[in-house]
Amino acid sequence: MDYVILSLVLLGIGIYGLLTKRDLLKVFVSVELIATAATLNFVMLVPSVGKGLGEAFLVLAFATDTCVSGVILALLVIVHKKYGTSDIGDLVKIEESKKDEVEA
Amino acid sequence: MILELLSVGLVISACLAIFLDEAVYSVAALAGTFFLTSMLYALSGAVFVAVFQFAVGAGTLAILFLAGEMLSEKPAKVPQKNLLSLVAVGVLLSLPAIFLSVSGQTGVFSAISFEEALWDLRAMDVVLQGFVIMTVALGIVIILHEKRKGGK
Repeated sequence: MDYVILSLVLLGIGIYGLLTKRDLLKVFVSVELIATAATLNFVMLVPSVGKGLGEAFLVLAFATDTCVSGVILALLVIVHKKYGTSDIGDLVKIEESKKDEVEA
Repeated sequence: MILELLSVGLVISACLAIFLDEAVYSVAALAGTFFLTSMLYALSGAVFVAVFQFAVGAGTLAILFLAGEMLSEKPAKVPQKNLLSLVAVGVLLSLPAIFLSVSGQTGVFSAISFEEALWDLRAMDVVLQGFVIMTVALGIVIILHEKRKGGK
């Protein structure tokens, strides 16, 4: 079994979700999947780069992953509070109607 | 054999997390992804990583469940046929990982300890941080410039 291909498959699923899904929560789930794929890659690189360097990379990867999750979740809550929806299509429509109102 | 089964389950749960319509089901599938990843690490001998993955996953999922419950609008029923096709797609996607191989493992930094890597090799990390900060600063400058242009 090859973990590099497994992580590539996970990365592909995550990127597909990121590009096609319109709900912000789904975008968040896609980002989590991409982060999981990256972490899996780091873990499976450990035998070739040495245990110490692998663990250090991993700690950094997990820390970055947690920070990204926090920021996206904060944005999600703020957007939902402000506009009442988390659908990207609806958000674009709201912004366009606001622009039209300002121009008129 | 068990690692192969875990990887098939991992890809299926990842597919379900992306393609299921209702947010709570999607988050439950993501929980499965985290759990299976953690099991995969533990069974591969990386217990340190498994514990980290489990802790980070548990925290993320607790918040995601709350957010999914609060922010999702209308519950949608999942058709059985759709679910089965998603599982089939997951099994199909996991086949290359089981039967193909691309990685050749060579030892380059194998003599470096964890402490050395974390404290002595910070240069790469600092350069990357600098790059990220520079990109953010550049983005802010461009946004401010465009705003000022729009104001005039």
